Amino acid sequence: MTHVERHPLVVRMSHWLIALSGMLLLFSGFGQMPMYKRYNIVKIPGLAWSDNYEITLWLHYAGAAVFTAAIVFHLMFHFRKKEFGIMPRKGDIGESIQGILAMFGLGDEPRHEKFQAKQRVIYAIFGSTALILVVTGMIKSYKNLGDIVLNPMFLQWVAFIHTLAGMFFMLLFVAHVAALMLYRPLIPSMFTGKIDRQYAKEHHPEWHVD
Amino acid sequence: MNISRRTFIAGSAAAGALSILPRGAAQAAIKGDSYATLIDLHKCDGCVGKSEPLCVASCRQGRKNDFPKPAKEQLKDYWPQKKHEDWSGKKHLTSRLTPYNWIFLQQVKVGEQTISIPRRCMHCDNPPCAKLCPFGVKHKTPEGPVYIDHSLCFGGAKCRTVCPWSVPQRQAGVGIYTLWQKYLPVGGGVMYKCDLCRDRLSQGMSPHCIESCPQKAMLIGQRDAIVAKAKELRQLYNGDIYGMGENGGTSTVYVSPVPFAEIDKALEAQAQRRNTKNTMHLHHADNMLEKQNTLAALSLFSPAIGAVAAIALTSKDSAKGGKE
Repeated sequence: MTHVERHPLVVRMSHWLIALSGMLLLFSGFGQMPMYKRYNIVKIPGLAWSDNYEITLWLHYAGAAVFTAAIVFHLMFHFRKKEFGIMPRKGDIGESIQGILAMFGLGDEPRHEKFQAKQRVIYAIFGSTALILVVTGMIKSYKNLGDIVLNPMFLQWVAFIHTLAGMFFMLLFVAHVAALMLYRPLIPSMFTGKIDRQYAKEHHPEWHVD
Repeated sequence: MNISRRTFIAGSAAAGALSILPRGAAQAAIKGDSYATLIDLHKCDGCVGKSEPLCVASCRQGRKNDFPKPAKEQLKDYWPQKKHEDWSGKKHLTSRLTPYNWIFLQQVKVGEQTISIPRRCMHCDNPPCAKLCPFGVKHKTPEGPVYIDHSLCFGGAKCRTVCPWSVPQRQAGVGIYTLWQKYLPVGGGVMYKCDLCRDRLSQGMSPHCIESCPQKAMLIGQRDAIVAKAKELRQLYNGDIYGMGENGGTSTVYVSPVPFAEIDKALEAQAQRRNTKNTMHLHHADNMLEKQNTLAALSLFSPAIGAVAAIALTSKDSAKGGKE
């Protein structure tokens, strides 16, 4: 066997559901800010509808339903299977710094398990931001259901946090896609689930693939 | 200024001059004891013989300190657009809503009858303007009024787009965006509209427009009492009601001896004759939020879908893949 399975089907499916719905949420969420008309996005062929708040709200709700369900599924699925390899551990920050320095030829690369310390830290940041978006988004959805009047200052903070977390999520998403360039051999595994066994042995020596 | 529960109650207790008074503490929902207003088009004569309607004049006089004061150097185009919204040179305009005019009077002939209609924010029960503000700086209060925090509003004008009557109006060159507009082209000013004189309500006084009306064509009071009064007048006039069902319900109820559909048709015909684009209508408006309630509810229910799927897959132990 020249390849080793890195991501089973259920993991790939939940990843892509979160990724695709996340992209839809980013597009429709930014569309909920009054910017697509001002910055001429509406003039891009095929996007004349993008400044219609009813359409972007519909897309945002649809994206939120998939995103939220997939995140809860992800958390519950791995919790029940007791798979915690991606959860950050003590010492991950230091090891992440060591790994970043090694990328520039400063020192040795730490011996990685299935996931690098950097990946575990990024997962925690990405995941926390997503959870903040889910919780604040659900409050925002709830108050839209009818003549529900919550404390205005509470709603102001919820809206503010949701919007800022959305912007941060956008930055994380861009960083995530950019980082793929550093780990090109891992990209096929997000589609096929498999990576080269030799690559795994060299770069993840503590991930016992044999 | 906030209408805290305490000041609201105190205000209500002190409001001896009002005909119908809110009596209790408003709760975190639209309750029967929240504020509502009634506008009786049978009584309103448009202040015939006066230089301008007193509701408009008193609002402009009483709220002048709340109107925008843009600095000239801050009046810049909304890059990359080559325009900005500046009403500071048109402060005198009283024929429409502007940042300097929060109530105006429409007059239209329906048959032989001239109908005068004071227009301002309807203070909706489920206001898309407030609920969809990206930074949450537009507030729906349990007491009824919908207001904008002018110190935090960027002036994106989304609230105007989602309002069925396009009530909020934007003034460039003022507000928090002036701190960064030189470096970052984000924001367009501040949105302005009627806030039902929240500061006066909190002191037990009624809004300027209502207090000044010589015909007593406008009333403010407890929602339940206002609705009852409106229904009574509708029966008396054999007329029509507007505002209770529009946009999911509002805190402003119009009563007229003439059906509102006819008035709206006359307004449209008048707009075409005058070749004006921005006539404020009296149409039946659906609430854009409530049209999407099913999908909103699905997004709230979605955690359960994810949880059930995870339990189902792990219970059967049918998930493929190795241990980490």
